[in-house]
Amino acid sequence: MSPVSVSTRIRHFTKRTYVRHVFLLWIFFTIMVGLFAPLQSKLMGPAASTQMEVVQETMTLFTYMAAPVAGLIFAVVTYSLLAWRSKGFVAPQYEGTNSRGNGPTTVAWILVSSLLCVVLLIWGLAEMADGQTARGDERARIINVTGNQWVWNFDYIENGNVRSQELYLPVNEPVLFHVTSVDVNHSFWIVQMGVKVDANAGAVTDMRVTPTLIGDFDIRCAELCGLNHSAMFTKVHVVSQGDYLAWILKNGGHQ
Amino acid sequence: MSHTAEVTTAKKRKGLMRKLNVWTGIVFGVVVAVAAHYLAKRYIPMGADETGTVLMDRVVITTMFGWTIGFMAGVGAFVGPYRWMMNRDLDHDDQMWLAGKDAGMARYFRFTTDHKVVGIQYLVITMVLFAVGGTMAMMIRTQLMRADSTFLNNTWYNTLVGMHGIIMIIATIIMVSGPFGNFVLPIMIGARDMAFPRLNALSFWLIFAAVPVLLSAPFLGGISTGWTAYAPLSTQAPAGMDAYIVTIIIFAVSSAVAGANITTTAVTMRARGMTWNRTPIFVFGTVASVGVAIPAFPMFMASQIFSGLDRTQGAAFYDAANGGSGWLYANLFWLMGHPEVYVILLPALAALLELTPVFSRSPLFSFNSAVGGIAGITGLSMLVWAHHMYASGWAPDLNGPFMLTTELISIPTGMLFLVFIGTIWRGRVWGRLPMLAVYAMLFNFLIGGLTGIYMSDVPVDYALHGSMYITAHFHYTLMGGALTGMIGATAYWFPKMTGRMLNEKIGIPAFVIMQVGFNVTFMGMFLVGLQGQQRRVAHYDKLFENGNFISTMGAYTIGFGALMLLYTVITSWRRGEVASDNPWGAKTLEWMVPTPVPLENFEVPPVVTSDPYGFGGPDAYDLEYEEDRRPSDDLETERV
Ligand SMILES: [Cu+2]
Ligand SMILES: [Cu+2]
Repeated sequence: MSPVSVSTRIRHFTKRTYVRHVFLLWIFFTIMVGLFAPLQSKLMGPAASTQMEVVQETMTLFTYMAAPVAGLIFAVVTYSLLAWRSKGFVAPQYEGTNSRGNGPTTVAWILVSSLLCVVLLIWGLAEMADGQTARGDERARIINVTGNQWVWNFDYIENGNVRSQELYLPVNEPVLFHVTSVDVNHSFWIVQMGVKVDANAGAVTDMRVTPTLIGDFDIRCAELCGLNHSAMFTKVHVVSQGDYLAWILKNGGHQ
Repeated sequence: MSHTAEVTTAKKRKGLMRKLNVWTGIVFGVVVAVAAHYLAKRYIPMGADETGTVLMDRVVITTMFGWTIGFMAGVGAFVGPYRWMMNRDLDHDDQMWLAGKDAGMARYFRFTTDHKVVGIQYLVITMVLFAVGGTMAMMIRTQLMRADSTFLNNTWYNTLVGMHGIIMIIATIIMVSGPFGNFVLPIMIGARDMAFPRLNALSFWLIFAAVPVLLSAPFLGGISTGWTAYAPLSTQAPAGMDAYIVTIIIFAVSSAVAGANITTTAVTMRARGMTWNRTPIFVFGTVASVGVAIPAFPMFMASQIFSGLDRTQGAAFYDAANGGSGWLYANLFWLMGHPEVYVILLPALAALLELTPVFSRSPLFSFNSAVGGIAGITGLSMLVWAHHMYASGWAPDLNGPFMLTTELISIPTGMLFLVFIGTIWRGRVWGRLPMLAVYAMLFNFLIGGLTGIYMSDVPVDYALHGSMYITAHFHYTLMGGALTGMIGATAYWFPKMTGRMLNEKIGIPAFVIMQVGFNVTFMGMFLVGLQGQQRRVAHYDKLFENGNFISTMGAYTIGFGALMLLYTVITSWRRGEVASDNPWGAKTLEWMVPTPVPLENFEVPPVVTSDPYGFGGPDAYDLEYEEDRRPSDDLETERV
């Protein structure tokens, strides 16, 4: 229909003033959205486990991927509002374009969003595959966790008959938690380590973590479990391997 | 029996039917409830090893069903089937009476079948539910203003969290397909009423009956479970839980009835010439929404029937010690719970898609993408439920597949975004309240959608699940996206439904205040969520105090804006500027009929020859290309 070649059309398109304005706005909004990536990681605090490092990396990557998409949408609608608004309350005097769509734009949009989706998926599967190898890790220290309205009990079954209500972990050693509940559902969440699994009555669920920072971190119940759900929190003390052993021995356990 | 005698009896019977209304419904409902209560107390046996609480649950549930059945009988819901069984089907006079012919205000207070009356009834009950649920939100936020506040005790706090949740879920499910799906949709497709007018009235009055049942929960010991009502916590909960169970069962029946009705209407009653690609996009969105609800809500109903049997009969569906599983509940619940998100979103987005061309004065960009996007979301919405259960420990090997389906949803959702921005692009944006709602929705829903993609990723979800981050995320989709869409739809169709213009001089500031408050509230919630605050806690660590304070201030701002908006709606409805038949210059059929809309909508059935998006003129720049010249500056100024 149109005698003009595609390249000419694109060239002319990019020369329009409003297209350039939208492009500038696009860059502006992309940067604004992108700024949320470091902010997120900062709010989540220093990663206290290998798992939390992955979580923060993922959120950063996803934010950077989302930024241009969100930025484009914000840019187009903001520019349209500022430049093509029909002023006042009365009905617009002029009509907009009568274009009912643009095939190449639609195809490009769907292709790009599908591609982004594939990237998300591959990234997620790769992370989970790493988790799978960890599953076979026989060296992991097993600790039993029992939720009980409204306290957590920890049994260090590899170190004899030791039970505590605050968790002690040696740094840089993989741990495998066997989690269960004696009453309703709870959720065992070590906040700064970015890991969580529900504690269900009559079932044992698994959760793995490798703490990487020495210090005290928070354990909070993340599943509404009745009256005192908000009081169901405790601490995890990540200590050196020597200190851990000393603590076990002091509490009547063995190596 | 002589001929005259027959006529007399018929007259007398008709007389009874014509005396029923909401008040007789309430009286009869209370009478039956009281009777059911005493009969249940007297005759329901209690096993030897059962405690008084089990008996109480049985009595409470029986009483609530007594109320529901009594109310429905008293309001006249069974008149049709009764007359049919008596072999005296409703005659034309009866039908007209049921449709509310010449009945004035009274028709809003009885079992009226006119779809326009039902639409208004839905609009009012939606606003009432929002007011109740919103007040609860204010109380929750007041409690959370400080880390160790004592405004509410734990029982009240948990109850309000659960009630706020379920009331808002019910309100948002009905908020678009109820008022506009009933009032606007039939006119939009050129029909004279819904396919099943009596079912239409039935679906509304069932919801009406469910409201007092749900509101009785705080007086029966409350709901300790949140709106998810997870087992086995629900088995342990006080009799308030029974109110939840009965409400959901009634609501599931109501939504099934409404869904069948709206679907049938849209499929079979479109005007001559209204092929599928001439059908307005709002019809697609609403049908998709109720279409998703039809398989989803029976799951919810089953989950609550099992819950009720566990509580009252020791059925042990969810009791691990006796061979049941809490994961069964979680699965049934989320088989409803995720599709339900789209039950809420789709009609709201479709309403905004419908009005965007009108307020951009240009056609819907890529109608096929809009339909494809809606269809894609509809299909995928059934396949993603277990992303709510990544961290539950149930079938960890399924996390990968569910991550895939969840992430795929971003493609059809993205198509809808393309349609919005494509329609606005090179359009002529008319900054009235409906269009502001489109803008607000695009902003909020984009944030809600993108944070949703973060949580579709399994490891990220392990970190964020059960935290305030989730609460912020779904409020961005359901409130920032869907409720904003509903406000836009209300502003758009207000002139047709009430005959008056919505006063935007107050309406727009009110809307802007609400939007600012909304973003402050839930940005604060994202903040404390990332810091590690768990959901549904009455007290929290001092660390989270700043973020929570911000959220509470934002919530009060929303409350203020909402009251202003409510004031605007009420005053405009009562004495606003009288609206013309088509104040927006729209092209869908509902704007072609007079306001107020006559009883049977169309005097002559309309014939449709094109889609309703024939806006706009040739784009000045495109004209330039025909001649292959450079775009000149004066061309742009000429168009402005
Ligand atoms: Cu808990
Ligand atoms: Cu979901």
